[in-house]
Amino acid sequence: MSQIDFHYLMPLLILTGGALLTMLVVAIKRNHKIIYVVTALSLIGSFLYLFELRGLQRHVVEPLFVIDGFAILYIGLTLLTSLVISMMSYAYFEQREERKEEYYILILLATLGACTLVISKHFASLFLGLEVLSVSLYALISYLRMRERSDEAGIKYLILAAVSSAFLLFGMALVYASTGTMTFEGIAASIASAYDLPLLMLTGFGMMIIGVGFKLSVVPFHMWTPDVYEGAPAPVTAFIATVSKGGMLGLLIRLFMQVEGFRFQTLVLIFTIVAIASMFAGNLLALMQRNVKRILAYSSISHLGYLLVAFLAGNELGVEAITFYLVAYFITTVGAFGVVTMLSDSEGDAEQLEDYRGLLWRRPWTAAVFTAMLLSLAGIPLTAGFVGKFYILAAGVNTQLWLLVAMLVLNSVIGLYYYIKLIAVMFQQPEAGREPVERLRPSILLASAGTLAVLALLLLYIGVYPTGLVNLIEGLISPATMVQNPSAPLLEAAK
Amino acid sequence: MELTFYVASAIAILATIMVITNYNMIHALLYLVVSFLAVAVVFFTLGAPFMAALEVIIYAGAIVVLIIFVIMMLNLTNEDVQQEKTWLRPKTWIGPALLSLVLLAELAYLVIAEDMPTINNQPVDAREVGLALYGPYLLGVQLCGMLLMAGIVGAYHLGRQKKKVVHRFLERSEI
Repeated sequence: MSQIDFHYLMPLLILTGGALLTMLVVAIKRNHKIIYVVTALSLIGSFLYLFELRGLQRHVVEPLFVIDGFAILYIGLTLLTSLVISMMSYAYFEQREERKEEYYILILLATLGACTLVISKHFASLFLGLEVLSVSLYALISYLRMRERSDEAGIKYLILAAVSSAFLLFGMALVYASTGTMTFEGIAASIASAYDLPLLMLTGFGMMIIGVGFKLSVVPFHMWTPDVYEGAPAPVTAFIATVSKGGMLGLLIRLFMQVEGFRFQTLVLIFTIVAIASMFAGNLLALMQRNVKRILAYSSISHLGYLLVAFLAGNELGVEAITFYLVAYFITTVGAFGVVTMLSDSEGDAEQLEDYRGLLWRRPWTAAVFTAMLLSLAGIPLTAGFVGKFYILAAGVNTQLWLLVAMLVLNSVIGLYYYIKLIAVMFQQPEAGREPVERLRPSILLASAGTLAVLALLLLYIGVYPTGLVNLIEGLISPATMVQNPSAPLLEAAK
Repeated sequence: MELTFYVASAIAILATIMVITNYNMIHALLYLVVSFLAVAVVFFTLGAPFMAALEVIIYAGAIVVLIIFVIMMLNLTNEDVQQEKTWLRPKTWIGPALLSLVLLAELAYLVIAEDMPTINNQPVDAREVGLALYGPYLLGVQLCGMLLMAGIVGAYHLGRQKKKVVHRFLERSEI
């Protein structure tokens, strides 16, 4: 590793250092506040270092990693989301009786795993990043041992994630067997002249899609989602819904852009079916739920379906649309789970629909933020969710994916129903006998409430004035930085 | 040469099936050892003798011994003597023993055979593995360190305390 490699990998090294430092601090003295500050500082430091890298050329750390504008954008998104989640975790874990310190080590490591995913260009780094993320999540999901559901959720995630990893590995092995290389550009070069995928490669890619699909929780690999969302602590649920999926999606985009997977009809067909099934299954199953965390789980399944529509567009506009939608989705999901986190007490998470009855009259500001988040999830104008959905529609129409676009519109209407139902519950009059919730210390409350307020403002800002974000995304993702293309002459020759 | 590969693979699959269909932990473990040994032979025939050695040392050696220790500790309160007697019936060990015997025969053949018998004629020795791991893939090795750290921290937290609430299905049956 040369000095320049150090420079480019510094955000990840800072994260690693932060995790190690946190562990050492835990060994010396257990103090929730100190640990929390160390975690936040390492996330912020890592994020600030990205500005150093911003204007630079794409850099390849052979053979595992590549750092380009796309990677910087996704790392920044991941880091900010982790920071917001750890801000909200502080108040949440302060009320819990369990040891809180290990949580922050695991959060830092999981973030490191997600960041590794988005910069990897080799199967080895892909798998290692995925495993760092998954192994941290196993422990995070069942972190609150006193809870009844935590073990169930943890075991479910452990077994299914292990099986999906096995599928992914087998798929990689098959691809390696037929191409003889594990780097993305090597695979791209070996299939550049092929019009159709050889059977071995197709099986390999299919098995990899199973592994990736599990992490993204798209139908038919979605069965774990509601149970795990319900059983995990609310901040961890937010983490699974955002950082874990975002990292995987970043990787999927990089792999597919590099190997030009959209040329192959079979792969496009697979993703089309998955996208439509995810949209429908997510929205229809959410209709009957009375548990807020499960509603959000099914809603996230359908949102991944929407994202796949833009993914299938497969061009630069599609990548921009995905990224924009991902930013909007991250803000909204973290905000929604942030409200759940804030309303939770030491007994359990506020997850039943009953807990939200009359919220507007009891805690108007919290209810207002939650309403904004739900409206954004539903894609109502003036919120970031609307602009994101519009962007996806534009990408879909641009490449004439009429079927997918029609399904997207239809599903947005279905989805509206359960979001509005949730909002309606908040507007109902509270039951008379209900005692007010006991408040936390103001300093702690300020961290959560402030974070939520920032998220809500950001949501409105992007909804009203999306140009800033669009310019940022366009500036960082350009086709020149995205794909390193040794196969271009070959492709020309094939045509 | 290819025959040794296929025989070893068949033994690996057979032994693994026996692992997951056996209800008794110790019986399953015996088959697990055989499965690891068979995979080691597969590695050897594919031209990775170093990996084969690692497979035997780490998996069949260290990890299985650890699992056995854990099982022994868990079972301390039972009538151990009785237990061990049931474990040592011929019915239990004859299956794994036969499979191991086949593997041993294969190993003997591989050792006796004149040239270094591999399928792709290009054995990867320990030196090359080391150069790859501490050369281009150094970052991957370090990432593995982080992976192990996540595993240890998580296991420490989850294993530290006894859970007071049992699962909702078990709760009912115990009362």
